[in-house]
Amino acid sequence: MTDDNGQAVVQLTAVRKEYGESAALDGVSLEIHAGEAVAVMGPSGSGKSTLLSMVAGLDRPTSGSVVVHGDDLGTLDEKGLALFRRRRIGMIFQFFNLLDDLSALDNVALAAQLTGTSAAHARKRALELFEELGIAGRRNTYPSQLSGGERQRVAVARALMNRPAILLADEPTGALDTRAGEQVMDLLLDLNQIGQTLLLVTHDQQLATRCASRVIDFVDGQIAGERSLERTA
Amino acid sequence: MSAVWPVARAAVRRRRVQTVVIGVVVLLSTTMIVVALGLLAASSGPFDRAYAKQSGSQLTASYDRSKVTDAQLTEAARSAAAVGGPFPQVTLDLAQPQMMGSLVAVGRADPGGAVDRLNVWKGRWATKPGEIVLNRNPTESSGRGKPQLNGTLSAGGQTLTIVGFAYSVSQSADAWVTPEQLNALHPTSTQMLYRFTHAATNAELTAGQKAVTAGLPSDALIGTQSYLALRALTAGQPNTFIPFLMVFGWLGLAVAVLIVANVVSGAVVAGFKHIGVLKSLGFTPTQVLTVYLGMVSIPAVVGCAGGVVLGNVLATSLLTRAFENYGAGGTSVPIWVDVVTLLGVPALVALSAFLPALKARSLSAAQAISAGSAPRAGRGLRVQRVLSGTRLPRSVSLGLGLPFARPGRTALTLAAVVLGVTSVTLAVGLGKSLTTYQTAASRAGAVDLAIFAGPNGSGPEGPGAPPGAKLTDAEDEAVLRSAPGVTSVAAMADLEMRLAGTQSDLRVSFYRGDFEQVGYRILAGRWFDGPGQVVVSERFLKQRGLAVGDTITLQSKGKSVRAQIVGKAMYNSGDEVLSNWATLALIAPDLRANIYEVNVKPGTDLDAVVKAVQAKDSGLQETEGQDAGTFVAVVLATVVLLTLMLGTVAALGVFNTVVLNTRERRRDLGMLKSIGMTPAQVTLMVVTSMIALGAVGGLLGIPVGIVAHRLVVPAMANGAQIELPDFMLEVYPAGLLALLVLAGIVISAAGAYFPARTAARTTIAEVLHNE
Repeated sequence: MTDDNGQAVVQLTAVRKEYGESAALDGVSLEIHAGEAVAVMGPSGSGKSTLLSMVAGLDRPTSGSVVVHGDDLGTLDEKGLALFRRRRIGMIFQFFNLLDDLSALDNVALAAQLTGTSAAHARKRALELFEELGIAGRRNTYPSQLSGGERQRVAVARALMNRPAILLADEPTGALDTRAGEQVMDLLLDLNQIGQTLLLVTHDQQLATRCASRVIDFVDGQIAGERSLERTA
Repeated sequence: MSAVWPVARAAVRRRRVQTVVIGVVVLLSTTMIVVALGLLAASSGPFDRAYAKQSGSQLTASYDRSKVTDAQLTEAARSAAAVGGPFPQVTLDLAQPQMMGSLVAVGRADPGGAVDRLNVWKGRWATKPGEIVLNRNPTESSGRGKPQLNGTLSAGGQTLTIVGFAYSVSQSADAWVTPEQLNALHPTSTQMLYRFTHAATNAELTAGQKAVTAGLPSDALIGTQSYLALRALTAGQPNTFIPFLMVFGWLGLAVAVLIVANVVSGAVVAGFKHIGVLKSLGFTPTQVLTVYLGMVSIPAVVGCAGGVVLGNVLATSLLTRAFENYGAGGTSVPIWVDVVTLLGVPALVALSAFLPALKARSLSAAQAISAGSAPRAGRGLRVQRVLSGTRLPRSVSLGLGLPFARPGRTALTLAAVVLGVTSVTLAVGLGKSLTTYQTAASRAGAVDLAIFAGPNGSGPEGPGAPPGAKLTDAEDEAVLRSAPGVTSVAAMADLEMRLAGTQSDLRVSFYRGDFEQVGYRILAGRWFDGPGQVVVSERFLKQRGLAVGDTITLQSKGKSVRAQIVGKAMYNSGDEVLSNWATLALIAPDLRANIYEVNVKPGTDLDAVVKAVQAKDSGLQETEGQDAGTFVAVVLATVVLLTLMLGTVAALGVFNTVVLNTRERRRDLGMLKSIGMTPAQVTLMVVTSMIALGAVGGLLGIPVGIVAHRLVVPAMANGAQIELPDFMLEVYPAGLLALLVLAGIVISAAGAYFPARTAARTTIAEVLHNE
């Protein structure tokens, strides 16, 4: 999960993203190195989620370049971007985004099955992750029957399924109660400590200080400041 | 209510795609319904109105004057409700450029009377010898080349001045003169016109006929014409259209109802939050219900109005075409059809929206808002689990599971596809039945070569005119039989004849030689084998109320021949009779064959045969064989058009479902793309979900279509007055059935593809961040 050459896993250069006449990102340049845990903070509408979308290849910049794990996303077509997302990144969302019709195990296995992995192999790998994340007993349960914390753990398992170069999390504790939020924070911290590169977007100061080694503050689509943190965990 | 209208209008604007789908589907369905109902209502209307106005003759009979007196006829007619006649009658041969053939003239002192009150629409009635009134439809062309008022015509050795034009809906004569003038023309028969107390059916008419001929010499009656046969003749074309138009119309309306129910239930499900907001603003449950009914009623009313207009245009065109030679007027769609459709179709659409709209009405504001944002329990979970474990590509297995997530919507969509496949199955069957019939009835391809022989000795009459034959009839037949590869030769002579007692001019084809080899199929009775025998078509029998075994009298060139109908053959024309050379010898023994129908061994060079016979008789010319009828082509074109319309409607049903599904699953689609599903995989997943429905719809729709075919084709055959051989119904071989399953898949794939592509292009960031 680390970059063997010690180079930046994520490299943004002068990225600008416009929606109509307003700029959600305005000349953002940023590097994230392998093994880092970076938190992006800022008020609503400051451009945090747009930044995450650029790194995940969910959206394209109006100008500037985004390079992730050596892939220049500006050169990829829609299919190329899909393959990039499949192989290089894992995403965690505030509202989990699990498929209601699939069991927890099949939700996680799905990510591998899209790469052509057989159902049996995908389920085996998913079960390993369930055991690592402490939710093996809930593998055959459906999303509507899981608690918020459990749903987010399933979402984390899905994000890790294809061993991504970077894990992107958009307000991962935003829809959770305090206890479930803390469990997810612990999980992310554990992952980073075993080498998983993390990029978090959050309003939650506690999440940032607990999980991130670096905090980037966003205001009006620009980087307003950057801080290195001593983790409190 | 003032708050309801703007909200309903806004809902229509917000759901543009569904609004257009509802409008188009209702428009197409209404068009089909109006055309079908319009034809049904109007097909016998003009005839009945005109008949009532003229007090038309229900039975027109001709009697042999040498066998029965006027006094006997008058006495015998006492049982009739009303009587016209006795009138002297004669068939005159004409020989002038405008009017070739023969003319039935009747002597009548005036155009009125209790029966067959003639409409003298131009000029005046004949009041003295030397004057004649012609029977002509007021709508018929009276331009150059047609007899004109104050013109003259020569008939029976006398010159008569045309003093007027009258129209008889009973078709009782071609012309009328005074009784004195008719007596001077040496009448051969007497015409009687009857109306009966009961004459609604053929049986009642037959009973009436028996009553008015009781006590008369048995061979005095030489011919009759029933008004039911005339009406059947008039309504033949519209009656052929009605059965399948009705079926297509109802199928279309059923699909429209399914789609509307689907749209509204989808809108309710997708609009929980919207409903909650409306209620929290103070909308009453009934106002919410009205908003949702209004949402579908607006496009439904617009579509229905458009459909009524379009239906009127199409139906009027078809009716005008069908009744153009009839002249009774009033061949438009009756107003009640428009009123019933304009009220009924939107009501039906609103009714189909009512149940799902009731759901919107009954939800509390809190329920609605929380239902719009809470995670929902999954559906079809067992199926999803099984599919997850298969070896199918994941996008395919996910697609196959999608229909189980919304069983109600799936059932409605499936029903639309079933109806679409039913339409295609019916249309394919109709097409095959019609073309099979047409091929058999027109004898297309049954004869390899048709050779024309002009009368002996006639030289070229103008540029391009065929030369006369050089050899005799018998010699030409021998030449053809000896040509290389020839296996059969049927010699045929045509003669224009008049069916006694009617105004019908018939073309009688007299055959000799191998006439059993020229493609006619005997449906009942047998071929002729002696003089005075004829074979006719089902249409001929139905139009004249005759049956195999009856005897008819044919007249030509002042001669009459009584002929027994010995068989019924399969061909379209109601004005063509087949007979044999022995019968021709009774009327025109010197007539030679003008057509030779020749069949050859497989692989024979037809050009070589033609060259060989022309080497011996340069007067023989190859001529074109039988061609397909235009009416069948019109019916086939209509069927294809309706099938495309219904296929489109069914595909729109699928389209609508996919739009609803993909909108509801935007978040899921965004998530799938975020974990690496490519646009092609998204498209495949969504299209697969509907293809599965299409395949099931195909399997269910085919038997329904076959049943519809079994009902519609006999009804059409009855309307068209043709016999229905079994082979017209055996049109679904196994290979075709397999192909028809594809119809459901094609309808589904066509309906699903575009919304699937749109879903595949969804911007993920927008979907996933707008929680």
